[in-house]
Amino acid sequence: MKDAVHAEWTKLRTVPSTGWLLITLIALTVGASAMASAIVKCPASCSTDTTKLSLTGIILGQAAVAGLAVLVVSSEYSTGMIRVSLAATPKRSVLLAAKAVVVTAVVVAVGAISVLGSLLAGRLLQPGNGFTAANGFTALSLLHGSTLRAAAGSVLYLALIGMFSLGAATALRDSAAATAVVLGVLYVVPVIGDVILSPVWQHRIERWSPANAGLAIQATRDMARLPIGPWPGLGVLALWTAAAMALGWTVLRLRDA
Amino acid sequence: MTITVSPYKSNQTPGRDGFIQLLRAEWTKFRTVRGWVIALIAVAALTALVPIYLAKAAAGNSVETCVNGSCQAEGQAIAVGPGGTAVTDTFYFVHQPMAGNGSITVRITAFRGSGSPQLPVGLALAPQTEPWAKAGIIIKESTKPGSAYAAVLVTGAHGVRMQYNFTHDLAGNATTVSASSPQWLRLIRSGDLITGYESANGMQWTAIGTADLAGLSSTVQAGLFVASPDFTMAVGNGDNSIGGPTQATAVFDHVQLQPASRGQAWTGTQIGNGSGKGYIIPGSQRNHQVRCCARLQPAHGFLARDGSITVRGSGDIAPFTPIVDPLHVTFFGTLFALIAVIALGALFITTEYRRGLIRTTVTASPRRGRILLAKATVIGAVTFVAGLIGAAIAFPVTEHELYANGWKPPVWPQLTLTSSTGLQVVLGTAAIAAAAAILGLAAGVIFRRSAGAVMAVIGVVVAPLILAVAVLPLTAADWLMRISPAAAFSLQQTTPRYSQVSNVCAAYHSCFPLAPWHGFGVLCAWAAVGLSAAAYLLRRRDV
Repeated sequence: MKDAVHAEWTKLRTVPSTGWLLITLIALTVGASAMASAIVKCPASCSTDTTKLSLTGIILGQAAVAGLAVLVVSSEYSTGMIRVSLAATPKRSVLLAAKAVVVTAVVVAVGAISVLGSLLAGRLLQPGNGFTAANGFTALSLLHGSTLRAAAGSVLYLALIGMFSLGAATALRDSAAATAVVLGVLYVVPVIGDVILSPVWQHRIERWSPANAGLAIQATRDMARLPIGPWPGLGVLALWTAAAMALGWTVLRLRDA
Repeated sequence: MTITVSPYKSNQTPGRDGFIQLLRAEWTKFRTVRGWVIALIAVAALTALVPIYLAKAAAGNSVETCVNGSCQAEGQAIAVGPGGTAVTDTFYFVHQPMAGNGSITVRITAFRGSGSPQLPVGLALAPQTEPWAKAGIIIKESTKPGSAYAAVLVTGAHGVRMQYNFTHDLAGNATTVSASSPQWLRLIRSGDLITGYESANGMQWTAIGTADLAGLSSTVQAGLFVASPDFTMAVGNGDNSIGGPTQATAVFDHVQLQPASRGQAWTGTQIGNGSGKGYIIPGSQRNHQVRCCARLQPAHGFLARDGSITVRGSGDIAPFTPIVDPLHVTFFGTLFALIAVIALGALFITTEYRRGLIRTTVTASPRRGRILLAKATVIGAVTFVAGLIGAAIAFPVTEHELYANGWKPPVWPQLTLTSSTGLQVVLGTAAIAAAAAILGLAAGVIFRRSAGAVMAVIGVVVAPLILAVAVLPLTAADWLMRISPAAAFSLQQTTPRYSQVSNVCAAYHSCFPLAPWHGFGVLCAWAAVGLSAAAYLLRRRDV
């Protein structure tokens, strides 16, 4: 297992796309978060959840995580490398686990940098936009339990999205198909859930879609009105991730490479 | 001795490398990959089925359709206008009957709103006078809400206007009324034609326009009116809106009615019924639950003294535009197909890079710009056809399902496939698919890898929607919906927007800031820039 992880780590760090995707992850997350913190102002939107606002960029950054995780598997299929990998590591579970470990480690490390950068931007920008003590706001700080939960949860969210994408890519093999399916789940489902004219379906999507449920971990205000609680929401995403990984594992075991 | 060996010459006629041959080659490549053909069929099926399902799930709406005798939406009373569409017709009317041809002339010396309704603390206040608050003279079929009319009027912030039959709005001069600059207004009836005039001094008159109110009764009601529409503002990202009624007061003098009435006095009538309620439409309860946050005591009326008449009123005389566009919401379902289309567009070239086929392709046709053009033509055409078939199936069924769920006239007119809106939605859906596929193709050339290309295109086409719908405040969302390719989804918008009605335009309520084909132009511009960059890189790079 240790050797398999080492091999996966070598593969991951020696392709140029990894570096680009991780830079994209940081840039999109921190950039979009800072922009959101810069444009939302208090007299107009005082009911804003400032912690959630400062982590807005996760919505864009997750695309880079999905891309990274998809490429870890699908690029091996597109180049034929997968046959070498399986010859070297015949136990397919070990190969998949090694990929999951490496992707998770990288996403957690770079995701933590992105989340901290986003929070810092929010802490610096939000007081200037009217989110001040006079209006009942305190500056963002990881010393607050709920902010810490939202920040750590966002990193976990990215890690779970990475595993979800890895599982989907292992099942689908083709990078275009896997990227399309994952981004469809992450972007189109929440849009439909937001605009759909059925309160029943709106509620269902808010509770059970991976992106909507998972991002409940960022909420720190009006907790009673959340469609799903922070940890149960992350749990729902974890279930989807487990399902995707199980599907990927099954396909990997049953199909020829 | 010399032996002459004649070099081998094929008996075949040389192949041609014209654009037609290139198109045929690309079409052959497309149709012989089984996965792509299956994906294309899936695109047509998703385009048809997802909107139909969303329409089936669209919870019934009877409040806004006058089904249960309760004819209200967003706190406003709804009437049915001369064109059969929903209108708001609520105002205070000081009137007399007018028999046959005649005219009415007034001078307005003051017009002012009463300011913000009582709204929860912490929200921005309404302007003192609503921009579309109205005071002026009107000739109206009867006092029944929704009956035909023509009016000239002054407004809070849009100058002098002539308006008739709710949907027509003609601009006069742009002055605002004050004691030092009063405004004279005149309406002259001649048969079915009513002409509106304005004047600064009561001597030089300028015609603003003429309304043709076919079938107007010989005796109509003519007089003075004041209306002040509800104040509405979006809160946060526009999923919540908040508002309430407002009032305005105008002072009229030099009132002349011809033919002069014998012994008739002015009668004051409240036309229609405003709710008098403030309201919040919360985002999580979209089915139009109207909650009251403050009640405005109706204080409309009029007072005639010393030759001048003071009128106070609230409400509006305007087309009613519902906040929700159910057809647009259901056509949001075509986004699933759009993702497949983007992937197809990218794969159409990245597969060639992966398999090395690109080298054969550029050997067979060395002019690389033409290869790209042929590929764009083929992928654009096939995705257009798939989108067209899907949308043409989806549209009538979706309309039928929405109707069955209570989304009915007068608020939501029933549209046929061949109506201009129907064609716009169906052709627009197909055109969006084609342009997105070409954008995917361009990204495929630029990135040469499917994952990067698909990610980038979904990132610019679909991700702005989620930001605009769920995250960004209204101004930022508006800006994003003007410059990102997502602007093209305005093609699927079906509720007409009128400039004479203040609307909260939020992507959340499927309102897009750009006009339909302008929005599509933004997507085309992205595709054109992408394709140019792709052509440049394809010629410059080795394959």
